[in-house]
Amino acid sequence: MTTPSPLLQVRDLHVAVGERTVLRGVSCDVQPGSLAVLMGANGSGKSTLGMALAGHPRYRVTGGQALLAGQDLLALPAHERARAGLFVSFQAPPDVPGVKNNLFIRTALNAVHEARGQPPLDAFDFLASARQAAGTLGLPETLLARPVNEGFSGGERKRNELLQLALLQPRLALLDEIDSGLDVDGVRAVVGLVQRLRAQGTAFIVVSHYLTLIEQLQPDAVLRLDQGRVAETGGLELARTIARTGFARPAAVAEAQP
Amino acid sequence: MNHAETGHLADHRAARAHLQQQGWITRRSEAFQHLPPPALEHWLGSTDATAGPPASGWTLHPLDGDAAARVQARWLDAHDPAQRAELLAGLPAPGADTDDAAPFAWAHRALCRQGLRLHVGAPAGTAPRTVHLALHHQPQDAAEAPLLVLDVAPGTHCLLLETHERTAPDAPATAQNLHIHIHLGAGAHLQHLRVVAPLAHDLVAHHVHATLAPQARYAQALAATGSAYHLQRSHFTLQGMGARARQAALLLAGAQQLDHQARTDLQAAQAASQVESLALAQGGARAVSNAYTRIAPGADGADVRQRLTGIPLAGHPRLVLRPHLEILHDNVQAAHGATWGALPEEALFYAAQRGLDDARARALITEGMARAVLERALDDSPLLAEWLEGGWLARQLERQAQAPLGDTV
Repeated sequence: MTTPSPLLQVRDLHVAVGERTVLRGVSCDVQPGSLAVLMGANGSGKSTLGMALAGHPRYRVTGGQALLAGQDLLALPAHERARAGLFVSFQAPPDVPGVKNNLFIRTALNAVHEARGQPPLDAFDFLASARQAAGTLGLPETLLARPVNEGFSGGERKRNELLQLALLQPRLALLDEIDSGLDVDGVRAVVGLVQRLRAQGTAFIVVSHYLTLIEQLQPDAVLRLDQGRVAETGGLELARTIARTGFARPAAVAEAQP
Repeated sequence: MNHAETGHLADHRAARAHLQQQGWITRRSEAFQHLPPPALEHWLGSTDATAGPPASGWTLHPLDGDAAARVQARWLDAHDPAQRAELLAGLPAPGADTDDAAPFAWAHRALCRQGLRLHVGAPAGTAPRTVHLALHHQPQDAAEAPLLVLDVAPGTHCLLLETHERTAPDAPATAQNLHIHIHLGAGAHLQHLRVVAPLAHDLVAHHVHATLAPQARYAQALAATGSAYHLQRSHFTLQGMGARARQAALLLAGAQQLDHQARTDLQAAQAASQVESLALAQGGARAVSNAYTRIAPGADGADVRQRLTGIPLAGHPRLVLRPHLEILHDNVQAAHGATWGALPEEALFYAAQRGLDDARARALITEGMARAVLERALDDSPLLAEWLEGGWLARQLERQAQAPLGDTV
């Protein structure tokens, strides 16, 4: 029996923001359809990993490698990384002034369809699927006709990220604190959507501090990031330990990790 | 030569004599120092041209069922003394306009050959309804001075789409000195969408003068594109208590020239005004947005906002933003600001992360910002929504993005 090739392979990734080195050699593999939870204290580099993989210009990769389905992710411009199947939800999704949400998402969706050689969606077909997805996620339909994220509450912004995730159906989604700002129903919607997309083969890296969500997501792996490195890898029990004792680890435990 | 000819010709001669004596606008003029207009002779045309029959470039389309019953339209020949008197009735004499643009008013008086007067109001005994109109203008001469006078009766609500679009690129150039006089009676509302897209070689100077009686509301959204010379100047006079004026100007300078000037005089208590502009330019363009607002003594509780934004899209355009307030009363609120910057980087990256390439992301965000400016002036007006639906804005931005980044014509 052969092990499937990892969808994402990150090797010894070093990333600097300005003069400060944030990631100091991160390595991890993510299999298709699997889910890894990324935990770590504030400033440990969780969001930096997402932004660096997405190609944010302020996050400078100074060393290492990242392959998505065997393709060198770091050699691609940001939009081609997205078209290759990488979706990164933003911790604080920005406003896109004046651009209607439905137009923004449809344009993005059609750009991805074009890259996959699929026909574009017309406005009517798109609206029907967007309305259905918005309804499932508890996002008011009126927000489809409003400028992207302008005047949205924190929870609405996060639901809007989920809406885009649901419609774009990426190969790999990195969700950065997607649960912050969401109410109980919103968290339930996250779990439902993640389960549905995993069943279709989408892999996930979920950054979260909340055990309730992590337990519901049933992760394949839990990674603890510390000072820019993966300091511990385990299963759900690691998340439970962190929830119980915090991020400060006894030196012996930390030294035991590779 | 009959008496009629003597009358209008004498008027023209007097205007020309005044211009000869006072001189044309120069760089020393405060309002025009960054983009002085082409020389006077461009705006006067040839003397032969004034001898031909007058032609109106205006076409009027009432856009709803009974608008025709609520609009009185008169196309008037400025060469006929009776019609000329009717056309100019109630308008300030050019000399009364002592500001920097007065020479344009004199040049207009020297050349004006025809004009359109509109009165909008509900006939007696009918229920008040919003009147929806469209006015299109096409140049008729190499040099011309069209005139529009619009009187909106007290309590009347009106939506007006006014377009000046030149699409045949090989059409002869025109020098157009247009003056529009708007009077809003007490409680009248006017939502005015102006679209001005000249040809690259045209010279354009539009002057909108609006006076507002008590509780009148005037909202203007202007979408203008650059040309060899293009001036859009508005003067709002808020004479009545509680009058409100708002202008949003979208200035698509391309790689050419565009001068936006908005002067507002708040003369009464509780009057309010907002002027906002967004200038998008590239290449060697020169674009100016000049907002000047004066709060007169006694304008208690006046509220003034100015927000000017300039974004260079490519190349090295020159963008000049000049917000200016003159406040002569204590109890008022006023805010103004100018922002010169790039497209929002976080929004651009967000779009890229969702799969949009740089050109598409920039186009989408630029169009969004442009729409937002216009929408802030006209709120949720059906007038604006219908016009935006036609795709004019997207086409102009695409054309602008594809244009060579050459120097100003």
